[in-house]
Amino acid sequence: MLKARVIPSLLIKSGKLVKTTQFKDAIYIGDPVNAARIFNQKQVPELILLDINATKDNHPIFIDIVSRVSDECFMPLTSGGGIKTIEDIRQLLNSGAEKVSINTQAVENPSLIAEASSTFGSQSIVVSIDVKKTRQGRYEVYTHDGTKKTGIDPVALAIKMEEMGAGEILLNSIDRDGTRQGYDIELVKKVSDSVGIPLIASGGAGSIEDFSTVIHKGHASAATAGSLFVFHGKRLAVLISFPTKEELESSLSKV
Amino acid sequence: MIVIVDYGMGNLRSILNKLQRMSEDVIVSSDINAIEQANKLVLPGVGSFETGMANLQERCLLSVLKWKVLEENTPILGICLGMQLLTLSSEEGDVEGLGWIDGETKQFNLGEHHSSLRVPHMGWNSIDIHRESPILHGVHSDSEFYFVHSYHVCCRADSSVIATTNYGYEFASVIQKERIYGTQFHPEKSHGNGSSILKNFIERA
Amino acid sequence: MIKHDNYQICLRCVSDTSIPGIRFDANGVCNFCEAHDRMEQQFPLNVQGPSKLDQLVQEIKDRGRNKEYDCVVGVSGGRDSTYTLYTAVQNGLRPLAVHFDNGWNSEIAVSNIKAATSKLNIDLHTVVADWDEFRDLQKSFLLASVPDAEIPTDYVIISVLYQAAAEVGTRYILSGHSFRTEGIAPKGWTYMDGRYLKSVHHRFGNRRLTSFPILSLSGLLYYTLVKRIRYISLLAYTHYTHKEAQKVLEKELGWVYYGGHHHENVYTHFFQSYLCPHKFHVDKRKIEYSALVRSRQMTREFALQELHENPHYPYDKEIVNYAITKLGLTKEEFNSIMSSSIKTFHDYPSYNPVIQASRIPIKVACTLHMLPPLVYEKYLG
Repeated sequence: MLKARVIPSLLIKSGKLVKTTQFKDAIYIGDPVNAARIFNQKQVPELILLDINATKDNHPIFIDIVSRVSDECFMPLTSGGGIKTIEDIRQLLNSGAEKVSINTQAVENPSLIAEASSTFGSQSIVVSIDVKKTRQGRYEVYTHDGTKKTGIDPVALAIKMEEMGAGEILLNSIDRDGTRQGYDIELVKKVSDSVGIPLIASGGAGSIEDFSTVIHKGHASAATAGSLFVFHGKRLAVLISFPTKEELESSLSKV
Repeated sequence: MIVIVDYGMGNLRSILNKLQRMSEDVIVSSDINAIEQANKLVLPGVGSFETGMANLQERCLLSVLKWKVLEENTPILGICLGMQLLTLSSEEGDVEGLGWIDGETKQFNLGEHHSSLRVPHMGWNSIDIHRESPILHGVHSDSEFYFVHSYHVCCRADSSVIATTNYGYEFASVIQKERIYGTQFHPEKSHGNGSSILKNFIERA
Repeated sequence: MIKHDNYQICLRCVSDTSIPGIRFDANGVCNFCEAHDRMEQQFPLNVQGPSKLDQLVQEIKDRGRNKEYDCVVGVSGGRDSTYTLYTAVQNGLRPLAVHFDNGWNSEIAVSNIKAATSKLNIDLHTVVADWDEFRDLQKSFLLASVPDAEIPTDYVIISVLYQAAAEVGTRYILSGHSFRTEGIAPKGWTYMDGRYLKSVHHRFGNRRLTSFPILSLSGLLYYTLVKRIRYISLLAYTHYTHKEAQKVLEKELGWVYYGGHHHENVYTHFFQSYLCPHKFHVDKRKIEYSALVRSRQMTREFALQELHENPHYPYDKEIVNYAITKLGLTKEEFNSIMSSSIKTFHDYPSYNPVIQASRIPIKVACTLHMLPPLVYEKYLG
């Protein structure tokens, strides 16, 4: 039986491992390679590594960090941030990532998704969609690391991306990011039900129960978390953790 | 010497990194001479069947691989697309495969009964072992591995199917014919179970 | 005391002439054994009436009333510090656990810290060094070619603990060091002070160090004399043994052993198992085993056999390779470090002259437990 996946996310800003709240206020977490090493030793099923200001700051793809992180990973690695060209993707895949995540270019240059999918296979291409709720209560896609409004509906974008050949969607709620208030189930369900490809829910995980909720009620194939796996206790001590296999299985089996 | 065949497909760095932890004599190469010297071969692969075969052709690797595997009986491990290329053909594209395993590569046909199952088959799933194989030494049924693929292999001979995995229906996840091995999953990305497969290939295949 | 140039080994413990500063008396017993005996007098265990531990605990409780925390405990995920935290809680104290993340935590260490603080219901505070900065500091010590290449972490931990204690308004730092199980590390192998750290970094480092504190002499004086903060080795007040502690921790806290002294930290494993024996010909097991022999937790015969049969702590090749890559060293750079001539703290500016000239005030401070008594034994013994 295919298991639902719970995946830690690591965010890189200017070469440093950080954690954000609502895509802002980055707190320093440490060395990304050591964090990956610890997650590997905890036997996490997958790891997501994103460069969160690559597009905004227009700096080169973080190949060096991806290589060193991937060397510590006996599990698949998805990496993204600032991808603009086929060559960027090739470099990341050659650096050890199994999948690449494309965000801004999926909106500004959707043909890149089609070309990437046909060159590297759809299973290597993840489209990452950052979403914020508008004042009117609708959902809107943002690009450029959550700083630029597009007016686009995430469901429409997800459907288009599947048509273009994306193999997976990574759906981020900017509003819930770092808040530990739970995933935005309404958003996740809307988008997940509209596509036939796997969807990873991101943004808001506060407890292990949230994974079960977003997978069963939100129809997500997988769930990712950042804060939950790097902070501990009321003083937000930096400490990497991950539930045991038994804890996850027990939680995910509860509908 | 173990040679990981570089034909422009697949996560070479990951496989090299993991194999180098187990053996000092591993290289990545697309060089015919290097492949000729290999004691063992690894055929990785991520991407399309058509592109995979085209790349092998373009790099003039078909003859040397055929000679090594069919004449010299050099053990070869095909991973993911690499396993699919071992078959006669694929529904993806209109191209012949290496044809060393009597079978075809087909798209997942999940139909109405499994409409909730998404393609690609992506994530951790378990294997059900049907036959013994050197590369499965010490590995048990229900062991989990990482899969990511939209097509799977259908063998004409049951004897080639060492282990199956369920995704809507049972499909071949580990195949073997003599010294030709294939895993649909990525052992280099499957933690300890995957490491066992790689170690077994180095030491027992 | 009689000094010998030829090889000699203490007849009571297993310290020998490979240890800098070792001296032997007429009975062939070394000065480290004598220091241990003096420490025993400072920390007597079998006394009539309330034990020194009870007195200390009461003092901490009294001072800590109306405060959120009455002490801070440094935690690393290792056995000693975890047992210190456990002992503090068992005695009714309300510690803040403090962890310094130097970028080298092992999975077992973080798992142990989480389990201990969760099960004991203790708040955790972490100081995370900027990795690029800390690597720069560690690398500068490797380039300095001194056997003290571990002390950046040790010294910054001390600095972090003083800072944390001051921030939460407590006078008590409970450290996980125990002279009965760890011994007294010779100055020649682990010299540390703030000036030494900064001078080595100034000479060989490139980055500004801003993400973690480095305690200066004036800082230490301020914390000790003005804030009245005491750095206390809690385990010295208890019948602490490795075996019993491990049993209790495994049962009560789900604590997991990582193999090897302080090897919960990957750099320590790399340094003690590989760099120490292969470059400096330093075997730190002699310090540890000597302590265990003196406190009767290991027989001398067993210690000698262990040292004889295994040339050093066993090392893991994968960890050594990982460490070299993580430090950003090329093969050539690492080989150059391994082969460069060995220096000592005497070759770099430090507070040592000041410390040597301050024998009497330091003796007084240690006797009054304003500074750990171990400080006198280590720097001036």
